Amino acid sequence: MIESVAFIDDIRNFLYAGGDVLWVILGVTICLWCLIIERLLFIKQNYPFLRDSCLALWNQRTDKNSAYALFIRQELISEVLIKLNRGVAIIKVLIALCPLLGLLGTVTGMIHVFDVMAVTGTGNARAMAAGISKATITTMAGMVIAISGLYFSKLIEERVSDESHHLADLLKYH
Amino acid sequence: MRLAISFIFALILAHNAYAGSQDLNQLLRDVKQRQAQERKLNKTREAEFLAEKQNQQQLLQTAKAELAKQEKLRAQLSTQLESNETLLAEMETQLKERSGELGELFGVAKQAAGDLQANLQGSIISAQYPDRIEALTRMTESKALPMISQLENLWFTLQQEMTESGKIVRFTQQIQIPGGERQEAEITRIGAFNALANGGYLNYDADAKILTSLARQPEGKYLDLIDSYRTSDAKKAPLGIDPTRGVMLNMLIQTPDAQERIQQGGVVGYIILLIGALGFLYALLRLSILVATGHKMKQQMHNDTAMDNNPLGRVLIATEQSPSQEVAALELILDEAITREVPNLEKGLSMIKLFAAVAPLLGLLGTVTGMIATFQSISLFGTGDPKLMADGISQALVTTMLGLSVAIPLLFLHNLLASRSKMLVQILDEQSAGLMSRRAGK
Repeated sequence: MIESVAFIDDIRNFLYAGGDVLWVILGVTICLWCLIIERLLFIKQNYPFLRDSCLALWNQRTDKNSAYALFIRQELISEVLIKLNRGVAIIKVLIALCPLLGLLGTVTGMIHVFDVMAVTGTGNARAMAAGISKATITTMAGMVIAISGLYFSKLIEERVSDESHHLADLLKYH
Repeated sequence: MRLAISFIFALILAHNAYAGSQDLNQLLRDVKQRQAQERKLNKTREAEFLAEKQNQQQLLQTAKAELAKQEKLRAQLSTQLESNETLLAEMETQLKERSGELGELFGVAKQAAGDLQANLQGSIISAQYPDRIEALTRMTESKALPMISQLENLWFTLQQEMTESGKIVRFTQQIQIPGGERQEAEITRIGAFNALANGGYLNYDADAKILTSLARQPEGKYLDLIDSYRTSDAKKAPLGIDPTRGVMLNMLIQTPDAQERIQQGGVVGYIILLIGALGFLYALLRLSILVATGHKMKQQMHNDTAMDNNPLGRVLIATEQSPSQEVAALELILDEAITREVPNLEKGLSMIKLFAAVAPLLGLLGTVTGMIATFQSISLFGTGDPKLMADGISQALVTTMLGLSVAIPLLFLHNLLASRSKMLVQILDEQSAGLMSRRAGK
């Protein structure tokens, strides 16, 4: 119990040292990971049903190689792909935004440092430390989130592209 | 004298020679008579002089006696002086010997008093006990050895500072409000760190020896803590304190707020904000249009009759109205209809992307102009005072910050718009043919 309280305290101190931008990064991180988990769960659980129903619809048809049939096949695949791809672009942009937010944090941290310098001069390194930790912690957080998210984003992209090829293979012309 | 007298006689004789010879006898008698008188007078005077001489002799003797007496006294005193001097020298050596260690001790005591005085001058506790500094000043400034009472006072003041810095005290005193007026207020002092009054933080002005209300108070959450602290009955309550004893609170007054920050950005900053506002509004407008279009297209997919209020419906209507129902001809018509619809869906995307790309570039421009200002101030004033450079540097940093904070949400919005419009185009591209086939019953 005490350990968990200390842990929460540590996190609070960390967020406090990082300043406002770190809260934004935290928000972005939560969104990002919710989206990643949602996508992974979707591919794992919902997608097989979707694929099967699509396959069943196709297999119901008697005519499978006329031009109209090809149009319908394309439509079936497209519907599944749109559902499969939903949110992937947002994951990618959130990952791209993380280092930018880190940079923003660096700039606000440097502004803080120069504010302190304007008041106390260059002599007081201790007073400047708060701004410098703001600058560095946000950059680090942005980088960590972006790098860790990048792996999962690539994983999801790979899975989506695999599944779409696989689906196209499954819907046979004969 | 005799000469004078005979001279007078001669004159008288000469005179009388003219007068006649009948009174010569008379004159002779007179002369004799006068001579006798003179003699008598002279004798008296002689006697007088002699008497005087004796008197003087006596006086001389008395004076001599006095002189001898005084000489004796002088000799006596000079011996005493000598002996006293020796005694004094002896005593001084003795004093030096005895106060050898004590002198050092008093030096240390004075130094400690000086240090304490310097500390107390900035200490918030001095607001409550304004007189204690003067007593210390008297001790440090006097050349004499400190009295026991002064030493005791030094000890007491040190102990008081220590004890009071661990206490939370409420007292009523005059404070200075930002307008410069003074008013009575109930002050809560937390150790040597903070003083609170009227729901705000106070600062101790060491020169005026008065607590002043801060011109700018800290963020709302710290002020809320004060209110909740005042009203809470619990033994412990959270409260924000300034461990730097006022330095941080002073810094707070100097840190600019959001509005001043934006002003620091200068013209470039305003341009960035304008671009951000325009881009934001336009992106939101496009997003709402795309969401509405997407909604209508969804409805169209589940609806048998083609409606002309959405792109998909319009594409389907175009195929329905086609004179030929050949697959190849239909495909061409479909392509044509889709090509007509796509620009509407992708409208504004490049504009928003441009805004998102321009904002950080403008931030960079602001950085460069800010650096130019900084270097100008360096060439004028040298690098000695960082405060003079602060203006240019804050412009440089603020514009970068503004550029980034405009670019980040715009990039996000652009991505939302792009993925949505891409999805709609995809539906048009890949599903309209299928829908058409279904409607044809194939």
